[in-house]
Amino acid sequence: MSGPPPGPGGPGSRSVSVSNGPPSAGMPPQQHMQQQQTNVPPPAGAQGGVQSQQNLNQIVLEYLSKKGYNRTEAMLRKESAHQDAEGRPIITRAEESGGAKYRGAYELLRSWIEDNLDLYKPELRRLMWPIFVYSFLDLVKEYYIKESEDFFSKYKGHFANERADEIRALSAIKLPQHLQDSHIAKIHAENKYRLTLSQMAFNSLIQFLESKEREGGGVIIAILTSHMQIFTVDRATIGNERSIAAILARATGDDDMPAEDEGIPGHNPGSANTDRNAPTILPKLALGPLPQEPELQDDVHAALQEEDAKNPPKPGQNSLVEEYEQRIKREPTDDVPTRDTVPLPPSLARDVAMEVQKVIEHRDRFKISGRTGGVGPGVSVTMFTFHNTFDSINCIDFSGDNLLVAAGMAESYVRVWSLEGNALPSPLDGPNTPPSSSRRLIGHSGPVYAVSFSPAIANPNASPSAPSTGPQYLLSCSADKTVRLWSLETWSCLVAYRSHDNPIWDVTWGPHGHYFLTGSHDRTARLWSTDHIEPLKMYVGHDNDVDCVAFHPNNAYVFTGSCDKTVRMWNISTGNALRLFTGHTGNVTAIACAPDGKTLASADDTGAIFLWDLEKGRRKKRMRGHGKGGVWSLSWSVESTVLVSGGADGTVRVWDGLLETSESAGGKVAAEGGAGQKIDAGKGGAGVVGQGGQGKKGGKEVGVSADQIGAFPTKKSPVYKVSFTRMNLVLAGGAYMP
Amino acid sequence: MSVWNPDNIKDVAESVGIASLSDAVVEELARDVDFRITQVLDEALKFMRHGKRTTLGTQDISNALRVLNVEPLFGYESTRPLRFGEASIGPGQPLYYVEDEEVDFEKLINSPLPKVPREITFTAHWLAVEGVQPSIPQNPTSSDSRHNDLLPKGIGANPYLAAVNGHDNVSVKPLVKHVLSKESIELYNKLSSALVDETNEEWRNAALASLRTDPGIHQLTTYLITFFAEKVTHNLKNIFILTQMMHATAALLSNPTIYLDPYIASIVPPVLTCLVGKHLGPSPSPATNTSSDSLLANGTAHTNPIAFFALRDLAASILTTIARRYSSTSATLKPRIARTCLKHFLDPAKPFGTHYGAIIGLTGIAGPEGVRLLVLPNLKLYDTILKEGLADDSRKLEAEMVVIAIMKGLEGLESSAGGRGGGFVVNGMEDLEGVRERLVEKVGEVVADRIVCSGREILVRAVLESDVNL
Repeated sequence: MSGPPPGPGGPGSRSVSVSNGPPSAGMPPQQHMQQQQTNVPPPAGAQGGVQSQQNLNQIVLEYLSKKGYNRTEAMLRKESAHQDAEGRPIITRAEESGGAKYRGAYELLRSWIEDNLDLYKPELRRLMWPIFVYSFLDLVKEYYIKESEDFFSKYKGHFANERADEIRALSAIKLPQHLQDSHIAKIHAENKYRLTLSQMAFNSLIQFLESKEREGGGVIIAILTSHMQIFTVDRATIGNERSIAAILARATGDDDMPAEDEGIPGHNPGSANTDRNAPTILPKLALGPLPQEPELQDDVHAALQEEDAKNPPKPGQNSLVEEYEQRIKREPTDDVPTRDTVPLPPSLARDVAMEVQKVIEHRDRFKISGRTGGVGPGVSVTMFTFHNTFDSINCIDFSGDNLLVAAGMAESYVRVWSLEGNALPSPLDGPNTPPSSSRRLIGHSGPVYAVSFSPAIANPNASPSAPSTGPQYLLSCSADKTVRLWSLETWSCLVAYRSHDNPIWDVTWGPHGHYFLTGSHDRTARLWSTDHIEPLKMYVGHDNDVDCVAFHPNNAYVFTGSCDKTVRMWNISTGNALRLFTGHTGNVTAIACAPDGKTLASADDTGAIFLWDLEKGRRKKRMRGHGKGGVWSLSWSVESTVLVSGGADGTVRVWDGLLETSESAGGKVAAEGGAGQKIDAGKGGAGVVGQGGQGKKGGKEVGVSADQIGAFPTKKSPVYKVSFTRMNLVLAGGAYMP
Repeated sequence: MSVWNPDNIKDVAESVGIASLSDAVVEELARDVDFRITQVLDEALKFMRHGKRTTLGTQDISNALRVLNVEPLFGYESTRPLRFGEASIGPGQPLYYVEDEEVDFEKLINSPLPKVPREITFTAHWLAVEGVQPSIPQNPTSSDSRHNDLLPKGIGANPYLAAVNGHDNVSVKPLVKHVLSKESIELYNKLSSALVDETNEEWRNAALASLRTDPGIHQLTTYLITFFAEKVTHNLKNIFILTQMMHATAALLSNPTIYLDPYIASIVPPVLTCLVGKHLGPSPSPATNTSSDSLLANGTAHTNPIAFFALRDLAASILTTIARRYSSTSATLKPRIARTCLKHFLDPAKPFGTHYGAIIGLTGIAGPEGVRLLVLPNLKLYDTILKEGLADDSRKLEAEMVVIAIMKGLEGLESSAGGRGGGFVVNGMEDLEGVRERLVEKVGEVVADRIVCSGREILVRAVLESDVNL
């Protein structure tokens, strides 16, 4: 009598999902099969079966009481109490309701969070996304296809703004086998989603979930334990970011951004160490400038003295030697890297000439100081607009001496023009070749995605005998998996570097030449030197394509930005990841390190620009204003105070790199809250109108941060490249798209 | 529910010889096709992004297929859009296909080569100079770029930025809409209808009284003034309405509770219209006021002048009140009105009515000083016009009115000079002819005769002395 009740074995409501699922055998878990068999009662006797079931119980009970088996009777009563009139078990636990359990649990959690205190709401809301993703993936995994689709379409709207890309990727997942093929699903399955909650919020969450365990809390707890890693911190230590003032200030705009350590990478803020038990101490960085060789210093000193004698300084000006002693030459301190870590070839006369020129520029340049109240510095921008391109220009680069511009074409070649219209001669030309102010470099077999001139410095009054300070080489990378090195003297290809397995997205020269860095579709970045055809180092760790790469100005570190929405900092010689910056909600499209070596700027294709403090590994601030579609280029002024950006919305924007705004981490939040008037991103830039649907999508609104100094729209020309010259003039390049 | 139509799966299955697929399999396959397409698109989007484009091209798809180790599709190029043909394979069963043009090889070879595409060139211009975007043709104009939206706004924003970028004259919409209460609207409707109600005098008086005393109409001031101006503009031929409007204006002016200073500029024009308007009241024929002498004055023309001269008198008095009361707050008010009047007075082409209005206006506004400085020196010239008018039967009446107006002005002169008694009486009586001569010299025959007829010595002396004072 104490055996299992004679009713059907499986949970009843599963039948709903099974009837929706394919009846083909083999796929569903075993219990479904069983249930399918047991749950289909013989059609004729359905009603009678129930009747007899009840009657039988009644008869047995009567029999037992008649016989005086009181304890057995009580036991039977107790056990049959969990069955409804039709003999099926009454469902009391959400876990037993099949695919619907996730929806119920999700709704439960959502309504609880929305009813919660304003203080905890923002951080608890961060829970919704991982819960949503894991609920969906679990639904797919358990083969509740219908439910998964319903669940996904019902709740995806909550994340449409912040997680558009992930939503798109997830929407494709329909079958359990896709979980293996889909990149996003794999990442989520193999990693735990990290989230930081304050102690109080976490406690109340757990309390709530436990009290509602039967209604769905258990489901949430299961997701939390199996897929997520919740960190609890004391509210006070989080600092201003989650202070009540910050929350109130943010209440007007619903554009929350993920915390710096939230998400799949599962790292401590800033640290690239994803080990669960990693120490919270960040590796120390040496961000100072690279010391110069003593021989070079002597040579430069002598050359400067000569220059001073030739052109004595104007009254009020420092002599060049003084300038050099004061500003440029610095005694080695503890935060500079040694020259041994990244050996460079011995300096040549050209290097001396370049250093001399740097000192002259340093003295004579138009200085941009930070905004100290009043009007921000006025920046001049020269725009080079390319016509008749038919959208075939992929990338643009300006040479450091401001004499050449190179464009990489979708038609697999590179074209170089002289900016001043001078002829570009080559010793290989025949005597009858007409002089031309542009050159085609042909050799690639796929679209060219990046070009880069080797370091160069303008030398306006160079004597003919002096060594040239112009660019000597050009690098280009392409979808054909090669990087090519072109000579700018003979206009021919010198080397093709092959090692990447997939298209190469970006290439850039090191600050002192000789080395260069590539980022590729194969999720690696590689360091090369011009004299080796094999890469010297590989930087591996990104979960998706490495879209853009940059050097630290002292040559000791490199940076990569990726589709996985992270920016990483690597030690150039060891290949260790030192910092990991998360917070981007779009693909990272451009990065640039400030010349002072302390700040990194990165931009994504939602139009946001982030500044990161390298030393602390924390976000400095977010700057918004660009429309959707990508910020293609970033560049810092020489003083590291002003950042300029250009993007697909056809604007060049100038930003104050120092001003703290409400979106700074730990900034003066309350004082500056609510910055940013809403504008329609689709119409924000003149250029985006009529350029595909990205800008218009859903009328998403973008605010302009208060630290924007200026915005200069072009006429229907997306801006591909912006670059500060060493004299603090901005060059911008873009193609006119009528 | 897959985006991919499961029917396509069946079609493909049939084409490779699988006749029957169960629905479950079809659905499963359709979902899988969905997933694979998304994968390809994901890769293709990367290529699009790195090409810095915002439109996805067929080349991106084939690059993506290559990266995914799938054989790329050949035969699709981005340069021209694909054209789809439609064929019917039965009732209600359209079949779509990509149109593949047949090319005549012979023709293709012999046809002239297509034009060489234009060379890629670049141009340079200043996008910004010292933080300001110059307005040159290469830069978008402020209207089509919606400049203001590009700048940060809000509390943290720098207020100088807008000015630097040339948007300091940003038009600001009033934050508060002017909302009239229902009662006010009702009152306005009552007032406006009552004022122009010809039939009911009580109503009109009540409305005027309300305007004169009611403090509650302050809200309505702008609307009322607009209403007056509009009525005057559109009813120049209706003396009644014009008069009514003048009364209403006067009533409003006399309301002690309303602060009218800001509205004076808009009150003055309708009043001036009534003062110096060319044709006021119903003009029986346009010729009445022209110099044509062939037409006889008919009945209306006779009654006309009285009515509209009364209106002009009323307007003049209102204007005088305005000038007196508000000249302290608006320094240019008096000179402006005086200049307008003088201009009309000196224009011989204008009818006498206008001249009349101008003269009484001047008299009212500028007082005796004004008459002496502005009217007197011009009377000699005006004499010819007066004579002409008096000789013409149809215009005699009007000319008379003008003369009366002039005389009135001169009398003002007399009263101001009245303080100075003298022995002129004796002299004047003795030398009447001589005085007349001098007066004619000064003000023309018509006026001189009048002055002499009036026999007022002080006036004579005042007129004659004005010369000395100049």
